[in-house]
Amino acid sequence: LSYFCLFHSGAYCKMLLHAAKYPHCAVNGLLVAEKQKEKKKDSHSTPILCVDCIPLFHGTLALAPMLEVALTLIDTWCKENKYVIAGYYQANERTKDFRPNQFAEKVGARIAENFSEAAMIMVDSTRFTMGCYEPILTIYDHHENKWKCRDCNADCFEDWCEAQKITSALLEGRSYESLIDFDNHLDDLRNDWTNPEINKSVLHLC
Amino acid sequence: MFDYCRACRLMVTCGDTTRCSKGSAETNHTQFNDVKPVLPRAMASVSEMYDVTWEEMRDKLRKWREDNHRNSEQIVDVGEELINEHASKLGDDIWIIYEQVMIAALDCSRDDLAWTCLQELKRQFPGSQRVKRLAGMRLEALEKYEDASKQYDSILQDDPTNTAARKRKISILKAQGKSAEAIRELNEYLEQFVGDQEAWHELSELYINEHDYGKAAFCLEELMMTNPHNHLYCEQYAEVKYTQGGLENLELSRKYFAQALKLNNRNMRALFGLYMSASHIAACPKVNATVKKANVKYAAWATNQINRAYQLAGRGTKENKCSVKAVEEMLESMQITMS
Repeated sequence: LSYFCLFHSGAYCKMLLHAAKYPHCAVNGLLVAEKQKEKKKDSHSTPILCVDCIPLFHGTLALAPMLEVALTLIDTWCKENKYVIAGYYQANERTKDFRPNQFAEKVGARIAENFSEAAMIMVDSTRFTMGCYEPILTIYDHHENKWKCRDCNADCFEDWCEAQKITSALLEGRSYESLIDFDNHLDDLRNDWTNPEINKSVLHLC
Repeated sequence: MFDYCRACRLMVTCGDTTRCSKGSAETNHTQFNDVKPVLPRAMASVSEMYDVTWEEMRDKLRKWREDNHRNSEQIVDVGEELINEHASKLGDDIWIIYEQVMIAALDCSRDDLAWTCLQELKRQFPGSQRVKRLAGMRLEALEKYEDASKQYDSILQDDPTNTAARKRKISILKAQGKSAEAIRELNEYLEQFVGDQEAWHELSELYINEHDYGKAAFCLEELMMTNPHNHLYCEQYAEVKYTQGGLENLELSRKYFAQALKLNNRNMRALFGLYMSASHIAACPKVNATVKKANVKYAAWATNQINRAYQLAGRGTKENKCSVKAVEEMLESMQITMS
């Protein structure tokens, strides 16, 4: 069984913007994909397209209640939009620490319960540059209760050149200052975690 | 007009003069109206882009200092311009601004700016322990941890009670990923300096990251004892208890979420937390009918409040309607599983 996920430019850039907004904190979030119409027998050949990213928290990640609220709320939102929660990303507090921890594995496993091809994604901050010369993610797939590492290269993107161009432009323009994560939403309910403004900017740059 | 208090993160009306209870400081709520730049960043100065005077820039820096805000890029932007263009007007304020800008510069890898600030401070305050600590922080930023440690040790030789130097040494351990050692050192520090709230909070975070929720709860209990009116500590304690799990901890978490709400009825995390904990207790097969009934009531009350909060927030914005709907549906679906 070989399934792999493709990143839409908007999903990739929002992950990096989230990490850039809080360079001194751990950050995490969810990736959503379009719900597949029917599960075909040979579905292992169809890649899953991660179309959007919902940034969740920054700072202390390992507490349950708000995570549960976020997962439930976003799950409801996904159902309305024919999406499914397809992955979880995390960037650790320390730059050099790019391995998944127990918490990341737990959340990943929880998501995999609802979506068997769920991916756990770790952001490698040591390779984080404004120019975005290479993809800085490591992808982990859930195989027999273990997480197996897979390399992330240009093939993992719908269009890597576009993703690179957009992410770099938004980083230069400091768009991360206006990125909203679920923590920001809990601080002020008017803050919209779907980030419509950033989505608009992404579309303009496409 | 609403804005949110940057200290306690509550939504308040502009001009609100009610007390804010962030940490140990009892001050009024602080509100900001940060104007986002529309022009590309390259050439325009801060004062041009935001149409602010140097006095407003200086006041902004002071507000950020008082709130211990870590918006380092903004501090560097505003502070660098203030120092370069208006140094003569700042009077004695300039020294504390140098310190603030230096630390922000370290955060942004602006060693050039950090170095300049440090030299000015060294010149003005030769032999100062406070400046020595800043020099140590610069070494930390350059990842020269051994040299930084030596710097702090020399401060401690002259002044063994220097808490700042001890805490920096613990930060080095944290930066190196030596969590167990950092926890051990911080515990030792707290035996001596039992009233240091920042340290208790740091320790609770270290424990949470190690999934040692019991010990994290203990640290938060210390903080709640000395700050009974702080809704944030109450709410964080409740979150830790919830995470620990089990019926007893869930009931405790519900009580503390409720307490946090009593202290501040606009704390959304406390409201959601009350809803989640009450729902879980009601759905637990071990509880008797009375307890179940009570918790169903609490959850229903919380649902009502959450919906109201979202309605209030969603007024006037079309896009927020999706949030409101999603919350309503989420709450409805959970009601079904509870009954």
